[in-house]
Amino acid sequence: MSKRRVYLAGLALQLFLIITVSSRDTFWLLSTSRTVFPERSKNFWQRAEQIASTPLGQGLPRSNPARQILTGYLHLSGIEAGYGFFAPNIPNSYKLVFELRFPDGRVEYRLPRVSNAASVLRIAGLLDMIGRTRSEAFRQTIVKMLADAVWREHADATMIRATFGSVVLPSAPEFERGKRESYEFLYAYDFSVSDKATEQSTP
Amino acid sequence: MKRLSVWRERLMDFCFPAESDTWLAVLRIGLGLQVMLYAMSLRDDWNYLLAGTGHGLISRNLGEAILSLESHLVPRLGWLVTLGTHAGLREETVLGVTWICLLVSGCGLLMGLASRFSAILAWLFHLCAAKSGGFVSYGVDNFMTIGLFYLMLSPLPDQYSLDWRLGKSRARDPQLLGFWRRLLQLHLCVIYFFSGLMKCLGTGWWDGSNIWRALIRPPFNIIDPEILIRWKYLFPVAGIFTCLLEIGYPFFIWNNRTRKIWLISICAMHVGIGLTMGMYLFAFIMIILNVAAFGPGLIRPEHAK
Repeated sequence: MSKRRVYLAGLALQLFLIITVSSRDTFWLLSTSRTVFPERSKNFWQRAEQIASTPLGQGLPRSNPARQILTGYLHLSGIEAGYGFFAPNIPNSYKLVFELRFPDGRVEYRLPRVSNAASVLRIAGLLDMIGRTRSEAFRQTIVKMLADAVWREHADATMIRATFGSVVLPSAPEFERGKRESYEFLYAYDFSVSDKATEQSTP
Repeated sequence: MKRLSVWRERLMDFCFPAESDTWLAVLRIGLGLQVMLYAMSLRDDWNYLLAGTGHGLISRNLGEAILSLESHLVPRLGWLVTLGTHAGLREETVLGVTWICLLVSGCGLLMGLASRFSAILAWLFHLCAAKSGGFVSYGVDNFMTIGLFYLMLSPLPDQYSLDWRLGKSRARDPQLLGFWRRLLQLHLCVIYFFSGLMKCLGTGWWDGSNIWRALIRPPFNIIDPEILIRWKYLFPVAGIFTCLLEIGYPFFIWNNRTRKIWLISICAMHVGIGLTMGMYLFAFIMIILNVAAFGPGLIRPEHAK
């Protein structure tokens, strides 16, 4: 019987964590997205998100062992994130195009390269992350890494311009009227030979 | 006092129902296949997506540094690479061996050979890859971690496994089998409830515009929009159907009379997502989790041996 109580306590704790994480992420989405609730309710959802974060140790310093263990467990069991897939609304997608300039004046265009459709889905997630982040430094770092990957395949290029934009999707009625997806410029970064990452070899 | 003890008894009966291990066999075989498909889908890009600085698409080291800010306790490929370096192995070799181990553990799960060990290896190597490649992870990685985590802790092996046939193990406590199945069932209920709730609160699911956007949004736009537009009258129906199906899941999946229709509908929805949006791995893992949790006993009542 006592062994069952341990299992029961484990189940209660696991469910508590799943529901708390899901609630936190739901409140976050409500505070940042367009929903059926009025705009003025966003402060309320922000507050709710903060409250839901507390039992997850998010208010503790990052180095706090309790927070480290709790966050570690959430990752180990795959419950560190909520389940708002394609919700509450579906945002535009993003596109990253590299313009490669060569010494002979040639210009070529490249997209981040992967081998198959399964990896393309992963790259799309990465581009969403670049588009969503509010940190310019983070965005630039990731774009530079992607540019370096292109550069390794085109070592003779002297400059790469990375243009990051949003793919604006037409609504169904707009599509019927002839409107098609369009590309909205968001950011551009120029990388010259001096910016090129130094190849590091592992032992 | 008497009422309290009745409630306690009911709670125990709910959390520890006597179950056969068919659901566990479904979960093991399904996750074995999923792990193998996952590994095969990443075969050509494995090193490219997960390499450290200067070799891959983006630096694995950056992803792992960000992960360390959250917790130092989460397994990552960097640990394996460091371990390999001490043994004189190059990073590419360690990554290659990890990929092979993941594939082999998937085979082990599929056949039920060294079931527990295979489950632990599959969980560990998949988790390392998913966390180190956090920048290129998406929903499928989360659900694989969830499934493998429960599988690894469940009372393996099941009666359909090679381990069982080889006589390495014998009958498990049916109530413990029921406990782990119940946990998976409850987890799925929470997943669908919150997913459905968020969709219901959005503005684009009730009029179907989100269905249209989901289907034409790159890279999910595998069906020509010129063909899709002919079905525009179905979008609101599909949007409302998705919302109700997901938010109603925790209420209708338990009832014997509605379980079959709900399970079939939710699996059909995932098949639809897989076929129309190209999210095959995501569709497959969701179907496995659903069928393992609520499938066995659906057509023919099962009795624990």
